[in-house]
Amino acid sequence: MRIAFVVQRYGLEINGGAELHCRWVAEHMQKHFPTEVLTTRAFDYITWKDHYPQAEEVVNGIKVRRFSVSKSRNPERFGRIQNYILHHEHKENDEFKWLDEEGPNSPSLLNYIKKHESEYDYFIFLSYRYYHSYWGINTVPQKSILVPTAEHDPVIHLRIFKDLFRKPRAFVYNSEEERKMIQTLSRNESVPGLVVGVGTEVPSTFSAEKFRQKFKVEGPYIIYIGRIDENKGCHKLFEYFLKFKREAGSDVKLILVGNSVLKVPSHSDIYHLGFLSEEDKFDALSGAELLVMPSFYESLSMVTLEAWALGRPVLANASCEVLKGQCQRSNGGLYYENYDEFREALKLLLSFPRLRRALGKNGQRYYEQNYTWDIIENKYLSILDRLGTK
Amino acid sequence: MDKQNVDEHRPEVAVKIDYEHLDVAQIMSQIKKIAAEKPRRVILEEPSPAEIKPELSFGLFPAIPPATLSFKQKIRIKIAKLMKPFFPLIRLLALPIHEELTRTIEHLHETNQRVDYLFERLAERDVSKDYIKLLHNLSHNLVVELTKLKIEEETLKSKTRILEKDLESLTKREKALEKKVFK
Repeated sequence: MRIAFVVQRYGLEINGGAELHCRWVAEHMQKHFPTEVLTTRAFDYITWKDHYPQAEEVVNGIKVRRFSVSKSRNPERFGRIQNYILHHEHKENDEFKWLDEEGPNSPSLLNYIKKHESEYDYFIFLSYRYYHSYWGINTVPQKSILVPTAEHDPVIHLRIFKDLFRKPRAFVYNSEEERKMIQTLSRNESVPGLVVGVGTEVPSTFSAEKFRQKFKVEGPYIIYIGRIDENKGCHKLFEYFLKFKREAGSDVKLILVGNSVLKVPSHSDIYHLGFLSEEDKFDALSGAELLVMPSFYESLSMVTLEAWALGRPVLANASCEVLKGQCQRSNGGLYYENYDEFREALKLLLSFPRLRRALGKNGQRYYEQNYTWDIIENKYLSILDRLGTK
Repeated sequence: MDKQNVDEHRPEVAVKIDYEHLDVAQIMSQIKKIAAEKPRRVILEEPSPAEIKPELSFGLFPAIPPATLSFKQKIRIKIAKLMKPFFPLIRLLALPIHEELTRTIEHLHETNQRVDYLFERLAERDVSKDYIKLLHNLSHNLVVELTKLKIEEETLKSKTRILEKDLESLTKREKALEKKVFK
């Protein structure tokens, strides 16, 4: 059996989202059968401009074929088209225009799939909302498996995706909530699908003390890991945290790990450490009282799984159904819908170390039962087994 | 339930936690209840007289021991005492202003009520607007469907006419054949 993963970007430098998800899964599936990655030469996810010079390279033992992006994205025009299709009556053609603008527009990638279809048993497409997935699945529907990585954002309601969700041979969902959302939207219950998600690489040793010494952090702290962005709900997190500090008079600190596209408020108890190495990240996470996840849209929060893998509890935004569902299923975290609930939940978690330990332990058990690599690999194998060799 | 396994009622955090059967949904429902109650509690709590600042107390509030008063507050009380004989005159002069203020407040209150009413009407209007839009779409769809049905009806009518003519010619043919056969 030969498998190709098709994803919008690929590289060791890309350290989050569906791209990292794809890299991890591809590297693990390599053990079971020959695996390739078909992707674009883009690195920048805003413009999709060609960045990687080589057409072919081997990344961590995986053969990667890169294809040029014929038209880079103009963010201003894209914003205008998206705004139009989301807020006005429109035709299907307008949605195709949006998809063209969404990109990464790479007809050569599609031509390759069409020409070399017979050389692969299955094409696993990641992220439903991009050009490569839509047209790729339409090129080889009988050999396609879709990992939608869908969030509850408005574009999922576009008409073109309703049809798309009925076309692949199978689905690999990230969460129960994602499956429910896609099935409700497209009535695609007849297409086989399994909730799989992704595993995570946890280092064997980590030290909270090392982190405290290196970054001079004293006292209890809560941590946020990820892009510091309004889309991730960070503006609300800052507002709630500062209000909580004023009202509760707590000495807890907020540690932010990740690159920022949003202004971080200057406050003596908010530490923005920027992007950290995996080692530092796990050291920081292991010393935190809890992980806070303010994001409104997530298809599967890898960092939440990492926190649970280390036995840390989570405080998540309940507006994100996936995070809320994960917290309820795992009994590994609390959630909030507004400031009052944030205050009460955080106050409770900070006041009761035993509760934090119990939630962390539950989270760890949930992670071990569902998200270790053996389990993830077996789930992928069972899907491929069910579909059979073409 | 094992008492040791339940964290109950710290004065500030009144959430029961059963550690043996930890249930996040159950903890969250308690947190939601507390979060919903707290703001109301704040509104209902009235400030105690001690919390009211002494500069507002021109004999209206219980006397505060002079030792706790600042120099500024002592001066204010002295001035108030000196002015006491002139209070009736000041009240007389201030009465029209007071009445005018009361009337203005009443007007403001009425205006606020009207604004609230208008906002409600505005919300209703928005809903009606949406309904009208929906009705417009519905009528448009109905017109399209009726047009299709009309065309269908016309087609069926023509088909019937053709069938009638066919039947007529077949009957004529039958009669002609009968004549020939039974001649």
